[in-house]
Amino acid sequence: MSNQSVIKMGSEAKGPLGKLRVTLARRTEGRAVGLFIIIATVVTLTQPLVFTAYQVTLGRIALIGLVALGLTAVILMGELDLSVASTLAVSGVIMTVVANETNILIGVLAALAASVVISLINAFFVAIVGINSFIATLGMLFALRGFALVISDEQPVKLLNVEFGIAFGQPILGPLTPRILIFFAVFILLQVFVTRVRVGREFLAVGGNRQAAYDAGIPVKRRIFTGFIISGGVAALAGVINSLERTAADPTAGSTVLLASFAAAIIGGNYLKGGKGSIVGTLIGAASLGMLQVALTISGVQVPVQEIFIGGILLIAVITDPSSLRAVWGSINTVIQGLKNSRAK
Amino acid sequence: MAKESLTQAMAIAKSPDEAKKEVKGSAAFVVFMADKGIFVFTAILIAASMTFVDGFASLQNLTDLFHRAAPIGIVALGMTFVVITGNYLDLSVVAQAAAAGVILIAVSNATNLATAFAVAFVVAIMFGLVNGIAVGYFKANAVIVTLATTYMGLGLLRLLSGGSQVFGPSDGPIATFGSSKLGPFPYSAVVLVVVAIVLTFVLSKTNFGFMVRSFGVNEKSTRLSGTNTGFIVVGAFLVTSMAAMVGGFVLAAFSNTAVSNMATGFDFQALAAIIVGGTSVFGGKGSVPRTLLGVVFVSILSNVLVLSQISYGWQQVAIGSLIVFAVTVDALGRRAGKK
Repeated sequence: MSNQSVIKMGSEAKGPLGKLRVTLARRTEGRAVGLFIIIATVVTLTQPLVFTAYQVTLGRIALIGLVALGLTAVILMGELDLSVASTLAVSGVIMTVVANETNILIGVLAALAASVVISLINAFFVAIVGINSFIATLGMLFALRGFALVISDEQPVKLLNVEFGIAFGQPILGPLTPRILIFFAVFILLQVFVTRVRVGREFLAVGGNRQAAYDAGIPVKRRIFTGFIISGGVAALAGVINSLERTAADPTAGSTVLLASFAAAIIGGNYLKGGKGSIVGTLIGAASLGMLQVALTISGVQVPVQEIFIGGILLIAVITDPSSLRAVWGSINTVIQGLKNSRAK
Repeated sequence: MAKESLTQAMAIAKSPDEAKKEVKGSAAFVVFMADKGIFVFTAILIAASMTFVDGFASLQNLTDLFHRAAPIGIVALGMTFVVITGNYLDLSVVAQAAAAGVILIAVSNATNLATAFAVAFVVAIMFGLVNGIAVGYFKANAVIVTLATTYMGLGLLRLLSGGSQVFGPSDGPIATFGSSKLGPFPYSAVVLVVVAIVLTFVLSKTNFGFMVRSFGVNEKSTRLSGTNTGFIVVGAFLVTSMAAMVGGFVLAAFSNTAVSNMATGFDFQALAAIIVGGTSVFGGKGSVPRTLLGVVFVSILSNVLVLSQISYGWQQVAIGSLIVFAVTVDALGRRAGKK
């Protein structure tokens, strides 16, 4: 349906101004770009160190953005995966424990395998049982948080192969560390997947109108499984990278990542009811939040204040959604109408 | 006027429930479990704990159980309103209860008890208004909104309190309240019962409670019958905030100390109690006494897990799985009832 209206607008568009209008109407990244420009301007004026130390900034953006990119795949279908924070913790712990017994490669594979199992459970409850994904993954968030504590014996697990962990944190390609390279690789893969691959395009159709997608022959349930596997797998990747760089796995990790990555995905213009959004938007959202965090840290702002900032941005992001603004405008209109009617009487 | 038309609307909405009674076989069992299962499970749990768990049936443990159940129970009773409107849950009760506790002790240390109550009340109203307006008028997702307000609230609290623990005077009124008992029942359990009675009355006897339930059943018909639906959502979040405030008071009074992370885990324990009690996360179905029963179940379960010396991690796994299990039963019951 939304597709049709876009095509119609395209046919009406004339001249460069019309084309610009069409582009603006089609794109969902408006708020992310706005926030990015504001933060970039303020940061350039007050804390140019953020750009000089771009390696730190890129690292922070990759930290926030990786989980957010995976989340975007699920949000495009109108679902949500709250359990990513615990998936990150669990996979980090599993990787470290297994790597200490055998070697790093098997550890990483075990962590990714665990994330697939978690995603399958999530998707089973959402697609087959039919529970709302907000509640199903919330239950999983708590259960897995406990599970991470169980396998780690309720304390951080040290990685025995410290040399590899330290080497992993070093730049390997110019100034880029493996974390940043993996982040860009995931970004490119997902961007191509969502915009160029049929399965990825169908995510948007599932999110836009599930019944219509089903009638058009899209295997909706299989797409939901794919989406959850992407979000879970990417979260596990983030958990593995975190544990390698810090040479230890923290079973309580992920609670701060949860907030920042949701903020990045939602400010990126990904519509929570599904069907609208883009991977690029998430990237811009993550870049804005990453710059903000680094700037605040460099300025010596305490962690609680940073949480207030990011919480505030998430709140503003979720209430300045186009449909939210329309809802408020609707109720204001109703009040105005009511006043007019009462005056007419 | 609005109420009459809504009564009709609800009667129509209820008709699938009538059809439920004709369901036979395994579907009937699922419907039964979704509706009445909690009574069976609670009875089994109590019987099993009394027989198999050492030290469960002692008076000391009973008092202890009430002490732990009361704060979470009060929060859960209030949150029932938000769940019934179909807005999932209020995650920010963690920040709200902690804020109320810290304010109660810190402000009453600095000035007096009345000022502390007043400040905590204002803070609770602020939380309720921000959550309620964002969800009710901006139609934002409740999980995301309350996630944001949790972090903002906890951040502010940690900033203002310096993240350190505050202690009340050992002979002050708060300490006296926290350690007093009425027979085997600590005062906190009495507060729990009073809150339950008040909220049951509000939900089942007042116009506001009626609108909350009607909103959960069918938002559109409620709006079309002339109800200010945004206001109903704000009201539901305000009830939750008030309950979270009282829960925070009771929690702080029990130990006579408060710290910004003292209510960690309240969000999902309260949610577990609500869902296990049989209040539906799809909205519209549920009641305050049901949540009270859910609180009894979840508290006994955690108590038994602690007595059996099961690690904290496994306890979290158990309660998380319990939420998923209860929602699954609810979803299956709904589907079986429709067929």
